[in-house]
Amino acid sequence: MRPLSRTTIVVLTLALVAPALFIRPAPAAEDVKIALVAPLSGRWARQGQLKKMGAEMAIEEINSQGGIKALGGAKIVLREGDAGDSVEKAVSAAQRLLTREKISAGIGSWLSSFTLGVTEVAERLQVPWLSLSYADSITERGFKYTFQTSPVSSLQAEQALELVTDVARRNNRPIKKAAIVGDNTAATVFFFKPLREKLLAAKGIELVVDEVWTPPLADATAIVQKLRTTQPDIMFYGGTNFPDSIQVLQKIKEFSVKTPIQGVGAWLVTPEYVKTVGKELLDNIQTVVAAHPLKGQEDLVKKFVQRTGEPFMTQDPLCTYAHVWLIKEAIEQAKSADPKAIRDALAKIDLSSGPATSAFYPARVKFDERGRRVGAAPLIVQWQGGEPFTVVPAAVATRPLAWHK
Amino acid sequence: MALAELVQYVATGLLVGGVYALMSIGLALIFGVMRVVNFAQGDFMMLGMYLTYFYAISGSVDPLLGALLTIPPFFVLGWIVHRGLLARVTGGGDPQRQMDAQLILTLGLSLVITNATTMILTPTPLGIRTGYATQAFALGPVLLNQARSYAFAMALVLAAAVYVFLTRTDLGKALRASADDPEAASYQGIDVRAMHGLAFGIGIALVAAAGGLLATYYPIEPTVAGNFIVLMFVAVVLGGLGSIPGAFVGGLVIGLVQSLTLLVLPFQLQNTGVFIVFLLVLYFRPQGLFGRRARTV
Repeated sequence: MRPLSRTTIVVLTLALVAPALFIRPAPAAEDVKIALVAPLSGRWARQGQLKKMGAEMAIEEINSQGGIKALGGAKIVLREGDAGDSVEKAVSAAQRLLTREKISAGIGSWLSSFTLGVTEVAERLQVPWLSLSYADSITERGFKYTFQTSPVSSLQAEQALELVTDVARRNNRPIKKAAIVGDNTAATVFFFKPLREKLLAAKGIELVVDEVWTPPLADATAIVQKLRTTQPDIMFYGGTNFPDSIQVLQKIKEFSVKTPIQGVGAWLVTPEYVKTVGKELLDNIQTVVAAHPLKGQEDLVKKFVQRTGEPFMTQDPLCTYAHVWLIKEAIEQAKSADPKAIRDALAKIDLSSGPATSAFYPARVKFDERGRRVGAAPLIVQWQGGEPFTVVPAAVATRPLAWHK
Repeated sequence: MALAELVQYVATGLLVGGVYALMSIGLALIFGVMRVVNFAQGDFMMLGMYLTYFYAISGSVDPLLGALLTIPPFFVLGWIVHRGLLARVTGGGDPQRQMDAQLILTLGLSLVITNATTMILTPTPLGIRTGYATQAFALGPVLLNQARSYAFAMALVLAAAVYVFLTRTDLGKALRASADDPEAASYQGIDVRAMHGLAFGIGIALVAAAGGLLATYYPIEPTVAGNFIVLMFVAVVLGGLGSIPGAFVGGLVIGLVQSLTLLVLPFQLQNTGVFIVFLLVLYFRPQGLFGRRARTV
């Protein structure tokens, strides 16, 4: 056999050594990336901003407490995608975010219409997705990667109706006539649908006003005119776009309409309402939400207020805070940052304590086969003196419910 | 339907339309004189709302006065934007290429203004709390919202002032001459470029004032322009491209149609009425209600 030439030896040596030059030793703890797709621009940007505040607070807590223990103290990092003001933008933001780098799990996208689109992308790319959105259809499509922590709209409608009829009766103001007023975004549609189709009729309540608009609303006079003429005993209200909602509330005051307002969603209890219409107009307006600070969460709220300068904490930061903690718990159980492993861990998870559960009512996180949180029940939050308080259920309420005089 | 109710719908429509009208005449003026389709018009309106808000917060200036006080700074801003940006893509050269460049420029400007405002002032909506936003003048059973009534009256005054300026002053006549025939105007010693700057300045100042009036009853946020910009364009085209009285009437018609549509169609189809009327007008009168074949102001 011919001895190898010097050149051949150099080439062979390089060929053997070269790969080693490019292989870096695996880092002890690689960052775990979580996606947040929420409206950060456009007409719902404020809600996205609130969600981001909650996510950042949870991430800071987790990382400062030593990160994810099962992954050697891996830190969580947030990757934001701007859902903008349309489903198309939300979907393309999710698509970009989930294909550009390895994302372990995602959160979003506030508006149910956006969540419906974004979860399709997450399902296709097999990334587990946590959402606070309400629409029933989010978890009616047989998706394996979508987890909905909020009670669905139809359930909220049922429980909200049950509650208001009960309280009204106890206050000697039984509900005989109801109004439905709101926009046609998905969560609102799913809240109104069962009311309109069966729930009101089953309680013998007549639907006297049924006005639904596509945002933005040009003027609320015609709606409030009908309220003034028909004098319903309750108004179910879903105006998710802030300027629309302000127009309705201002007009209600202008026309001296005294109908009690039962809203659907946390958009009705954001701090900017106080600044724009004043606390007197808001007093006693109540809304059904998926989460709101409960009795015993004072420290968490205080920390949030100090950190962000917001006057109080609401559903959006609270749920997103809990979602990040929930993803952390799932990763601890899966002992992996792999999206499929996290999805399996979420499907099996059953937590009843810790920051991942405290934001929810009841404080237990277990998902059924559709991805809905088992036992999820809505809360009623009411404006009192310029601040929204949890008033129902009484066991976790921070203030007693006040009914309209 | 009771007569009172019909009157209420008509009155509401006119009041809503009054501010649309003021928003639209600035756009019509800019198009009429410069042939520039200004997509950033709504964003200048949004900036006008913010300035009115800051006047109200820092100096306790009533927003109705604040709206008027937005006019001088926004006239200067408009003039600067014209001199710094628009003058580079107007006033000569291949018309088609100029039009493309203008569209991209004003669209880009709109995106920059919206997003810069979101970054700097945050997306949190702001509102000026005025007593008159939630009070009404009662004319029998018909209620007229006070904020909208004041805004309507001021819109009328401002629109009339612009009309008088354009028809009764030398400067206004020079402006119209520049719109009618820039070449002939320049032979007459009119500085057409300066006239363009003037038109853009006035157009921006008017829409900022409309924003100030809007702020008396409408929340302020960086994306507020999106709620109005399409209607502004519809008003301008409806009235006849570039015609100031046309744009004013166009704005009123939109408000009126939005309101009266609710008598026959559900709320979700409110703007459908506007676009049906828009299509009908374009079909029977392609030049718009007040338009001439040759566009003038």
